[in-house]
Amino acid sequence: MAVLNRMDWYDLARSTNWTPKYVTEDELFPPKLSGEFGLPLAAWENYDEPYKQTYPEYVKVQREKDAGAYSVKAALERSRIFENADPGWKSVMKAHYGAIARGEYAAASAEARMMRFSKAPGMRNMSTLGCMDEIRHGQMQLYFPHEHVAKDRQIDWAFKAYDTNEWAMIAARHFFDDIMMTRDAISVSIMLTFSFETGFTNMQFLGLAADAAEAGDHTFANLISSIQTDESRHAQIGGPALKVLIENGKKEEAQKRVDIAVWGAWKLFSVLTGPIMDYYTPLEHRKQSFKEFMEEWIVAQFERALTDMGLDLPWYWDIFLKDIGQTHHGMHLGSYFWRPTLWWNPAAGVTPDERAWLEEKYPGWNDTWGQCWDVFIDNVVDGNMAKTYPETLPYVCNMCQLPILGVPGKGWDVKDYPLEYNGRLYHFGSEVDRWVFQQEPERYAGHLSIVDRFLAGMIQPMDLGGALQYMGLAPGEIGDDAHNYAWAEVYRALRETRKAG
Amino acid sequence: MALFPLTSNFEGDFVLQLVPVDTEHTMDEVAAAAAVHSVGRRVRDRPGHILRVRRHGSTELLPRNLKVAEAGFKPTETVDIIWQAA
Repeated sequence: MAVLNRMDWYDLARSTNWTPKYVTEDELFPPKLSGEFGLPLAAWENYDEPYKQTYPEYVKVQREKDAGAYSVKAALERSRIFENADPGWKSVMKAHYGAIARGEYAAASAEARMMRFSKAPGMRNMSTLGCMDEIRHGQMQLYFPHEHVAKDRQIDWAFKAYDTNEWAMIAARHFFDDIMMTRDAISVSIMLTFSFETGFTNMQFLGLAADAAEAGDHTFANLISSIQTDESRHAQIGGPALKVLIENGKKEEAQKRVDIAVWGAWKLFSVLTGPIMDYYTPLEHRKQSFKEFMEEWIVAQFERALTDMGLDLPWYWDIFLKDIGQTHHGMHLGSYFWRPTLWWNPAAGVTPDERAWLEEKYPGWNDTWGQCWDVFIDNVVDGNMAKTYPETLPYVCNMCQLPILGVPGKGWDVKDYPLEYNGRLYHFGSEVDRWVFQQEPERYAGHLSIVDRFLAGMIQPMDLGGALQYMGLAPGEIGDDAHNYAWAEVYRALRETRKAG
Repeated sequence: MALFPLTSNFEGDFVLQLVPVDTEHTMDEVAAAAAVHSVGRRVRDRPGHILRVRRHGSTELLPRNLKVAEAGFKPTETVDIIWQAA
């Protein structure tokens, strides 16, 4: 039997929509789940996905992708890449797997919501494939690290991080719960696929794939490149939805969702990806600074995508452009200083050569973040290790759940953005985080940050031991310097030279 | 006498930190409690300087012997801890 070409039947098949007779439209598509935009079913039939794929095509291509990634893994299983890798690279893997793997299953659930509840037939088709993508990503990113569990306890966090109260995971869950687990189908398409996946996953997966290849970890490089090919397809689910909304006079609602999600994604990446690119990756393997990467992959990408779409740049764009040269330095210093609360071992990345690179990429680094590191380094060289650890909690933002920080040293500029709401004092790390809260206070007001939980007596005993227990960090898992402070030797030698001179 | 949480924004440091103080503490004692978590960890000591407390973002320093209970702080309110030449 002759088979029609895809484009001869795809559009017709896609738009063959059910007309409900036995139930109302609202029963079939409950507004809370489908999106309360007040648009008729017919408006959503104009949704036109730019990337069209049929189920048989999908299965064929995905099978090939899986075969490629799994065969590279099988071929390299005895290569001892993990055992011989730079400790900084192992930390990259651990941070990535813990923060991402289980979230992929959550993303599958969000895609499934679009698959069932979107009124746009094309979106239902795209997200059927997207849902299967996310299941594949979850499976792969749990299977691939499994071979290392017996070698390193921290790898177990690929499997357990999502179920813990570790602070970075609270931040990740807060963001993903907000943009994909508790939103209607259309909002998920805007906030998860357009705002988060279009730019940010590109950066995490393409950037890390390049770093992995440089580090000689071809298994990981192949794995995440394979994932990224799916992301770049299903990230396109949101664009046509935005188009439908804008064409039907719903620009303001669309813009707000973009603005909220882009900011949350930025904050999460400032702690997850920023330190990896500018501090953990060995100097000789760095291609671009985090800021350069952000400018190329996020700033340029969004400016183009938003303008093409007829949307505006988020109102906070100037704040964002300033932040991409600053925030991640604080996130690195913070996560490193509170390193026992991590499930990976952060690399300090502050040898004189690395500092010269940081100064070149971020003029003024030595007079700001470098000033804090100077004190830290002196303590390490002096063997005064107690002073290199914290004795209290950093105050975290009630929106992004990450430390409230700013520029230290000679350029000291650290601000709190407080807000009193229903008798409770909330703290935010930026004007934008506070603005997000103010858009829908009841949505966020009940959440307790890790500091709120501490103050409420939920963390016992009220010390570092109690906090680590609360976060699920067992002995053998808690983070410490990736290189066991070997990097400080050069400073010790410099001091000896100065003394001798 | 009661435990009272404040948030410290210490001059020269990069992050806000939770600092438990007592309602009977003076502002000098608040500054000293905050310094424990910044000075010698990420901020160098400044000989010849004392530390003063002000409401976050204010330019007015609070009296050194003012007690926490008298200052009218809200729990977890952020205070700036500022170096002042002695």
